[in-house]
This record gives sequence, structure tokens and C-alpha cells, in this order.
Amino acid sequence: MTVVSAFLVPGSPLPLLRSENPPWSGIASAYRTAGRALAASRPDTILLYSTQWMAVLDELWQARPHLADTHVDENWYEYGDLEYDLNIDVELAQACVAGSKEIGISSKAIDYDKFPIDTGTIVADKFLNPSSRYPLTIAANNLYHSFDDTIRLGEMAVQKATDLGRRVAIVGVGGLSGSIFRHEIDIRSDGIVSAEDDAWNRQMLSSLEAGGDASFPEVCDEFAKGAKADMGFKHCAWIYGALGRKFSGARVHEYGATYGSGAAVVEFKV
Amino acid sequence: MPKGEIVAGFIAPHPPHLVYGENPPQNEPKSQGGWEQLRWAYEKVRAKIDELQPDVILVHSPHWITQLGHHFLGIEHLAGKSVDPIFPNLFRYTYDMNVDVELAEAACQNAKDLGLVSKMMRNPKFRVDYGTITSLHLARPQWDIPVVGLSANNSPYYLTTEEGFEEMDRLGKATRKAIEDLGRRAVVLCSATMSHRHFQEEPDVPEDMSQEHPYSMEMYQWDMKLIDLMRRGEMQKVHDLLPQFVEIAFAEFKAGSFTWMCSAMGYPELPGELLGFGNVIGTGNAVFEWDLTKFGLATPASEWKHSRPFNAGRPSAPSSPLGGGSFGGAGPSIGATAR
Ligand SMILES: [Fe+2]
Repeated sequence: MTVVSAFLVPGSPLPLLRSENPPWSGIASAYRTAGRALAASRPDTILLYSTQWMAVLDELWQARPHLADTHVDENWYEYGDLEYDLNIDVELAQACVAGSKEIGISSKAIDYDKFPIDTGTIVADKFLNPSSRYPLTIAANNLYHSFDDTIRLGEMAVQKATDLGRRVAIVGVGGLSGSIFRHEIDIRSDGIVSAEDDAWNRQMLSSLEAGGDASFPEVCDEFAKGAKADMGFKHCAWIYGALGRKFSGARVHEYGATYGSGAAVVEFKV
Repeated sequence: MPKGEIVAGFIAPHPPHLVYGENPPQNEPKSQGGWEQLRWAYEKVRAKIDELQPDVILVHSPHWITQLGHHFLGIEHLAGKSVDPIFPNLFRYTYDMNVDVELAEAACQNAKDLGLVSKMMRNPKFRVDYGTITSLHLARPQWDIPVVGLSANNSPYYLTTEEGFEEMDRLGKATRKAIEDLGRRAVVLCSATMSHRHFQEEPDVPEDMSQEHPYSMEMYQWDMKLIDLMRRGEMQKVHDLLPQFVEIAFAEFKAGSFTWMCSAMGYPELPGELLGFGNVIGTGNAVFEWDLTKFGLATPASEWKHSRPFNAGRPSAPSSPLGGGSFGGAGPSIGATAR
């Protein structure tokens, strides 16, 4: 079995940097629970897609063996710095570069000192892989790619992992409803921006719990439009593709708000 | 203290290709030149800034995107290495800049007074975005004039283009008042590309100019239509057309830098001077100047009493690990003789 676990997790740094704040502490502890589940699944590699790593020209795959630095989020800099220390499964990344081209998606490997690692990747790695035990293969969110392109990328990445004999944990990093508060709030009373967004999020999470098959992309599309979901909810396309375009259900560990936008920690049944 | 003035505004687009083509010591990748016409246009900006002797250069960048309001760099000295996430093969630049924090704070406060959400960025480890760095390098590669950096709030994307521009109008007014109140002599940069549709693939040699041309006839015609109006000084018509231009040409003006600059200058209905135009990976880039001293709207440098000597903010060479060197050059490019 190639895919040994799969998770949808938020990319906001707030639950990591202020995990003691009541509206965010539930997300932080659910994230840690997911980290334990990931470790229990004994993956060789984490196959991660983050909406916040935005690409424009190609599908990019991180291929620098080791990346360690301090990142400061361009929005939430006042909450502190994000230290990271990532090990990359370069062999799988290179296979995915080749595999992307095989499915008609132009692609490049990225290997540069000080290349800006996105906040979502760092947050997910800190929570799910706190001792940097597992190497990652990281895919960018090309803004021109559709939901379907992203399904195909997830599918292809798992195929390449199978070819290399890897056991992989699938991680899609991104939010639910995308609207945040446009004014400063008291973070102790954070909540979803509107009842409508909240309803959309709950409906989507119910769909995840119920499982998905061929009609799942339509459900996601409706949600993405209705909830102005983070990047068209493509991080879920990544997971759905990686799971072979069907899954029997999922467990929602926590659902909450990150400055008004929707955030959930979801573990898929594999 | 005399009342401060904005002495000039420039459209100062930020394709990292222009820095790459120039081969300055701060940038790691090396090129065989390319995009000369745009880089020569920037040589005119550099000469104009020398002539105008501003105390500060302000830049609004679409690549520091903030969701919660309009942000200002608020740390006096920022240094580091900026790698462009889209073109890391072209732009890996070691920067070192001084910020006019007093001016930024005043503009930030004025923006709040005008009802905008606005914040000072106080984290010393913050990495400055490549749009800010590229426009500033191209305009003033010596880095010897303090700067003010403003983020692009995502309101035009989250709300509507028009609502976003309305916020930029207020941000421009807030900026102008701060410059006036603090007696600064300022240059403002709109860091933005015009038509922004681009090719999906880079040539093997990025500086192969035989591959460079407008994305489409429609994009070219839109760029020229706007440029023509700007050259004639029909700026109100430009502003009226902007939402349509943004929609059709995917123009980077959507992020608000142009509206902010014009608002800060008081919407002069004056002809600007086109210093150069060029395509970069298909996008349309104009380097444009509005020198307000030419129109009697600002004081020439010769008549201005600087509250501190010109260039007093910094040593004349960058203190980056790369040291000094020549910053005026256009690199080993084809016939790049103008200095
Ligand atoms: Fe740009």
C-alpha cells in the first residue's frame, strides 16, 4: 500500500504561533493529534501540497535536500517568526517533475538557497512532523491549474511513489471558506466571518465525512464558489487524486476560524 | 520646516528580468543582457533622481500582499537575500535598505485617520518582497536614499476593483499629507506592469530577445491606448478606463499602485514622459515620469533647502557583503553604452 494516511490541514500560522488563544487552541491540538496519526502510519515520505506556495509558469517541486531558515509571514509577522528545518525526498520530487511532464503539465525542480518556503508548508510540517523525522516532497499551487489538473498531479505523485516503493502520507494544506475579517478583531473572540460561510464549511465537512466518489469534484466546486474557498479548494483535489478519486469517509478532528476564515483538521480513511 | 513636496512620480515596473539583464553585483545569477530598452529607460530615472535630490523614495508593491489593511515597513534597517518565488533562476538579490520610519509612521497614522485599516510592520526578520526591491534597485541602485515601502492590500481582489481604488485614493492622500507635514522631498514609485498576460513558458535562454514580443495585439493596443493618454496628460480618461483595462489586460495596476501614486501627486492632469516601453515574457511594461518641478508644482533641487544634506541617510555604497562596485552599468549587454 502506497498511501498510508491522508490529511487536510489549515495553512494559517495563527494556531501555531498563538496556540493558547482559545479559538485556535482546538485547531492546534487537533493538528497535533493528526501528527500522531501520521507517525502511526509509518510513512517514508510526506507528499504535501500547499495553497500558499504559489507558482505561475510551471508546476514546481521542491528539490533542495535540506532547507532550514527563519520565515516571517507577510501578514501575521507580529505573532512571531517561523523557524523551519525541512528534509526533502529529492528522488521522489524529481520523479514527480518527470511525471508531471508525462501527464502534459510543464514542470520544474526548485533547488535554491533562501528560496521562500511558504507559511502553509512550514505550519503543517511543524505540527505534523515536529522532529523533522519524515522527508517531504512538496508541490506548488500553480495559479493557472484547475481542480482537475490538481487531481491529476496528486494521482501522478502517488503513482511515482508506488514506482519507488515509498509509503506516503498525503497532506493538503489550505483553508475552507476564504474570507477573513477586514478589520482588527479581539482574537479571543475569533469566529467565522458570516453564518453563510459557516454553513458552507459545515456542509463540506459533512461531505468529507460521508466519503466521495466520481461526483466529489462537483461538490467541491459548489463549495469553492459558495464559500470563496481558499484557492478553489485545490488542496482537496490533491488529496482526492492521491486517494485514487474515491474515499470512504473522513474524520473531522476540529473545525474553527482563523481570523474569520474557515479552518479544519481532517483525517481521511485510507 | 518647509512644507514637504512630492517632486516626481514614476511608473517603475518590477520584472526581475531587468535586474538579471543588468548583472549588478547584488544579484547572483548572471545574464548576457537583454531587455535593454527598458533598462535604458531606467537609466533616465536614475539620472532624474540624481537631479531631483529627494530625501526619500516611496514605493507601493503588488508583491507584498496583505489581507488585513495597508502595511508599511517599520524597521529602520532591513537586509537579507530575496529570491523571487516565480523566477528564482533570475533573481537572487542581496539587499540592504534604510527605511524612513518616521515618514512611514506618519502616513500610517494618516491612513487610519482617513478610515483605512493600516499597520506598521515591526518584525526585523521580515523579508522584503521582490517587487519593492526590484523597483528600488532599478531607480536607485546605490541604495543611499531612505525608502518607505507600502504593501498592497487585497481589497481590489476581495471587493471590487473600484472599491479597491477608492481605498488607494485615501492611501495616496494619507501619504501626501505625511510628506508635507514632515517636510520631506519625495519621489513616489508605482511598482507595476501594465498589460499582465504572459507566456506560460520561459525560453531556454531567458534573455533571448528573439522570443520577446507582446502577448497579443489586443494587449499591445490597450497598453498604447493608455500610454497615449498619459503622454497627452489626459489622466482623468486614464482613470476612467482603468477598471476596464484591469479586466481585459489583467493589468497589475489592479493592485492599486498607480492610483495611489496619482492620488499622492494630487491627480495632476499633466502629460507624463514615456521613458521606455518593453515586453517581458509578453507583459507590457512602461517606464513613465511625471516631474512636477517641470510644471511649477514642486521646487527644483537648486532652490530647495534640504533639512539634511542630500544622501545623508546612507553611505554612498551599499554595505552588503558584496561591497561597492559600479552600479550604473547595463551589464555586458548588446550595445549597452548609455551610462
Ligand atoms: Fe509583478
